[in-house]
Amino acid sequence: MRELLLTGLFVATSFAETGKFGSFTDSNDVGAPPLKGSAEFTASTGQYKITGSGSDIWGKADQFHYIWREMSGNFSVTATVKFLTEGVAHRKAVLMLRKSLDTDSPFVHLAIHADGTPAIQFRNTKADNTNTVDFPMEGPGIWNLKLVRQGTTITVWIAKDGAPLRELGHTINQLGSPILLGLGVSSHTKEATSTVLFSDVSVEQLPTPAAKP
Amino acid sequence: MPIMRHLILIGLLSAPMFPQSETLGIFTSSGDVGGPAIKGSTAFDAATGQYRMTGAGANIWGKQDQFQYAWREITGNFTVTATMRFLGQGNEHRKAGIMVRQTLDTDATYADVLIHGNGMPGLQWRSKSGDETNTFDPPFDGPGTFKIKLVRTGVKMYMFIGKDGAELKEIAHTEVSFQNPVLVGLAVCSHRADAADTVIFSDVSVEAQAPPMPKKQ
Repeated sequence: MRELLLTGLFVATSFAETGKFGSFTDSNDVGAPPLKGSAEFTASTGQYKITGSGSDIWGKADQFHYIWREMSGNFSVTATVKFLTEGVAHRKAVLMLRKSLDTDSPFVHLAIHADGTPAIQFRNTKADNTNTVDFPMEGPGIWNLKLVRQGTTITVWIAKDGAPLRELGHTINQLGSPILLGLGVSSHTKEATSTVLFSDVSVEQLPTPAAKP
Repeated sequence: MPIMRHLILIGLLSAPMFPQSETLGIFTSSGDVGGPAIKGSTAFDAATGQYRMTGAGANIWGKQDQFQYAWREITGNFTVTATMRFLGQGNEHRKAGIMVRQTLDTDATYADVLIHGNGMPGLQWRSKSGDETNTFDPPFDGPGTFKIKLVRTGVKMYMFIGKDGAELKEIAHTEVSFQNPVLVGLAVCSHRADAADTVIFSDVSVEAQAPPMPKKQ
């Protein structure tokens, strides 16, 4: 039993923030918004400055800028999010799990809208409509976001302006493995971009719980 | 201006509480959805305003549902509140609550605000007939007596919860598209085929909201 617990601890590794995109491996626009986005990682501060355009991450197809890595199994992701530019109230910054880079791919994400509305949103199957769980609006601020996947359970936490993280709740999601895990920004308009600063980003692989006897 | 005042009056007067009937209170019908092996029942006590509902069934989940339902037809925006508690022991995921449903088919579109036997609230919905169920479950701390409220405003379905006498608190909302009219009512499911569970609902109200005022030009 002790051996099992030790194994569990050692499997919880953080990914090294090396390379051009830190914890992630690639960056690109999804859904070909007319205004191109970008992602810039600063190794000395560990910050990601992501500029994204696009109509939304919503409905049957998405337009946004994405920075991602491939991931399987259980994991925990955290980030601190600050909107740097003015724009549409419902421009959004997200911690996303996505099946593919297709514009209509299944996904699930924890989103913070610029007006301070947190949301869990998901598209269950390719080209299906997006589902949403919107929480009461808290007003603009700097947000700590956390998402944990354990099997099919996705649990999310949020905190505004340095408050302790509080759990919003969980949903059940069948995305499976592998998926593309990353950070996304959509300006909620094709006519402008939005820039968001993500700091204190961590991606941690979690152990697979031992099967029940 | 006289026209405007008239519109406001209509708005106020068209938010009625539905009259209570002797047999099912503010609801018109009750029955099992999805044909659970053990039959359910609904009894309304006009003296106390309480509904005693017994329901069996595998679950309200996945692509199809089995449960006991007491409902009425309604159109447009509305608010439903109820206070509920489970009687006796049962499956930790037995569930009961307020449900909006398109039809009585086992795989119909629905949205509900419910409490599981272990005290976990849920906002659950099936976006279209025959589709999978979606869920959102907020944090919880155990069983109790729950005040629950579901508000429909257009496609938005709001969940409010208050436990053991606490004030109702808005938790979250989702979006589900229904055709009018819809069925709205109370649901009980034991989460097992071989037993039924009983739930007491009290202080139940169904209030229709006036459609939004036309915007000023």
